[in-house]
Amino acid sequence: MEKVIIVRYAEIHLKGKNRGYFERVFCVNLEKALKGIRHELRRTSGRYLIAAFDDLDAEEILSRISRVFGVHSYSIGYRVPSDLDSVFAAARIVCPQAGTFKVETHRADKRYPMTSIEISAAIGGKLLDANPALKVDVHAPQHTVYLDIREEGTALVFGAFEEGAGGMPVGTSSKGLLLISGGIDSPVAGYMMAKRGMDVEYLHFHSYPYTNEQAKDKVVELARILSRYAGGESLATVKVTHIQEEIHKKCAPELNVTLLRRFMFRIAERVAKRKGAKCLITGESLGQVASQTMEGIASSNAVVTLPVFRPLIGFDKEEIIVRAKKIGTFDTSVLPYEDCCTVFLPEFPAIKPKLSFIEEEEKKLDVEALVEEALTTLERISIH
Amino acid sequence: MIYLDNAATTRPSEGALARAEHYLTQCFYNPSALYHGGIEAHRMITDARRVLLSCIADSSSYDLIFTSCGTEADNQAIFGAGRRGNVVTTAGEHAAVYESCKELKNRGVEPRFAPLRADGSVDVVALLSLVDDKTSLVSVIHVSNETGAVNDIAAIAKLVKQKNPRTVFHSDGVQAFGKIPVRLTKEIDLYTVSAHKIGALKGTGALFRRKTCGTLPPYLYGGGQEGGMRSGTENVFGISCFRYAAEEKFATLAQDGSRLADVKELMWQQLDHKLFSRISPSDGSPYILTVSARGKRGEALQRMLWDKDVAVGTGSACNSKKPHSRVLEACGYEDDVLSGILRVSFSPRTTEEDVRIAAEAMNEAARQFGGL
Repeated sequence: MEKVIIVRYAEIHLKGKNRGYFERVFCVNLEKALKGIRHELRRTSGRYLIAAFDDLDAEEILSRISRVFGVHSYSIGYRVPSDLDSVFAAARIVCPQAGTFKVETHRADKRYPMTSIEISAAIGGKLLDANPALKVDVHAPQHTVYLDIREEGTALVFGAFEEGAGGMPVGTSSKGLLLISGGIDSPVAGYMMAKRGMDVEYLHFHSYPYTNEQAKDKVVELARILSRYAGGESLATVKVTHIQEEIHKKCAPELNVTLLRRFMFRIAERVAKRKGAKCLITGESLGQVASQTMEGIASSNAVVTLPVFRPLIGFDKEEIIVRAKKIGTFDTSVLPYEDCCTVFLPEFPAIKPKLSFIEEEEKKLDVEALVEEALTTLERISIH
Repeated sequence: MIYLDNAATTRPSEGALARAEHYLTQCFYNPSALYHGGIEAHRMITDARRVLLSCIADSSSYDLIFTSCGTEADNQAIFGAGRRGNVVTTAGEHAAVYESCKELKNRGVEPRFAPLRADGSVDVVALLSLVDDKTSLVSVIHVSNETGAVNDIAAIAKLVKQKNPRTVFHSDGVQAFGKIPVRLTKEIDLYTVSAHKIGALKGTGALFRRKTCGTLPPYLYGGGQEGGMRSGTENVFGISCFRYAAEEKFATLAQDGSRLADVKELMWQQLDHKLFSRISPSDGSPYILTVSARGKRGEALQRMLWDKDVAVGTGSACNSKKPHSRVLEACGYEDDVLSGILRVSFSPRTTEEDVRIAAEAMNEAARQFGGL
């Protein structure tokens, strides 16, 4: 009897001729997730088996598997020879000590001498005989014992299906650059793109010395949490302090944020190209703050040619918070270190800035020189 | 690095570390053990207690409870002595006292906070008006950690006892011990000190206790160390360092104090008075000079200064939930003053050269602020 974790994948089977590619990426991602834990990963038809791990690592493996996109569901159970005695021995361990239950059998090996219903009945009967505290209920049982009779003379016996993260394997949908602040939204935006298979890289803007080092550490931590789902090796940071000072000094105060956003997008596009990312990702949600109005968004988009994805555009704050909590970034996001110093925040930011006015004000700045200067401050911080 | 944040913590004294090292590497035994090594370790604690007591108190009237830090000593004093009626303290307390007093409310004891004067010292008349026959404890900080203002605790304690002789009087002396002359008078019952503010290590504090004030209920239960008032295996090395550092401090306390009073005034003279306002009083601790770069951000200035190899403290953080120092707010300053607070705090190592360089760096940072 061998303890195993069964991993079933999601949409890959839809991918026709590309299936092999999707499976390879998925397999690499599983191995990456399990790095540092002794295990064997075996492919069987339509699923993967994780075996040869230490019992003490089982919880950790399950927790890591739960964060791999492309996993439809997973179960912890036993792999045994498919004879009835061996299956029963495993079923006894999997089946709880009391309550109502049923046995559900799936028979992939059609040459097996019994039908699925016969197997369920036989094992169910033996479980009842062995433990009088159990009762059968085939309609609404408290527990189900699943038997999966495989072709190679083996069976998988397990007690539950755990829901996986779903989506597509990270890396099968190109690469994107996430503009990550210390807030609640941007990590969720990165998560959602990764869920559709996008490999996510991270870029953070800071205004040291007006913003503090804890704010930066907080973003590193957010990227670290997110990378457990979305991949990525490092966080890039760019200092925009001088740009903020120049805007503050020379331009209309109500445009401070709008103008800064345009600089951030220009810088992000250049960083994206260096990293081979094909799009920008932001956590913007329509109308959430002054810079996230239609006009604000249009003014940022006007300075870049790469597509900009805003997966949270139609989400309310509450909906975003629910997701952030589920992903595990919320508690870090709400730490009280601010990523933008109020020194540069206007009292009344423009809600509907006109592009002509923005461009007029921007002429007071040497845009290209400021962008280039900011890029010289690019740093890479390892997130592993 | 010119280190001028000595009110936050101090560089450990190499002399004290060297003298105490024996208790880290050789005599590492549990001071409760009954063989010779244990007895020797225990003896070290007894000796340290005697030395520290003699620094500021009459050893026959006081004893000393070693704790893990000043905060723990403050907590033990507040929750140990403030168990009934009301507790009177000031708006200028360190958080260790202030937050403890606020918590008293949840335990059925009414906290009362006396207002401050502009320099951070307590308004004594107002404080006394809060004391009545139900006051179980009065706690007044000795030297304000934010402005360096000195409260005359001996006089205040006397007035408090005249009003209610049964009231216990506590003072947080963390910024005073080893820095300004202190003598515990008979009206002062409890007094908190901390090791790392005078060249010893983080992880050691102590509470002076006048024997007549009775035992304090323990905060940690266990093996009954510290007369049952603070269980837990004693931090022999930290306590030894504390003792040796205190010996060093008290040997030169008067000279250091008068020299640093000049250093402090030199620092103030060197600052550009168009950029900085002075918060600290002229008769305050010679170890602390608090100023404000009006309209600027103390925290950002602090980082700019770190990049210029000067470390200073600040009274505010870039945090929208708690933007300004509670104590300085209570002194009555406006937002533009509160946002630009910098606290410069000295040690006997500080030289005139240090403060000239630091003052120039502060002037420069304030001018560069905002790219203006």
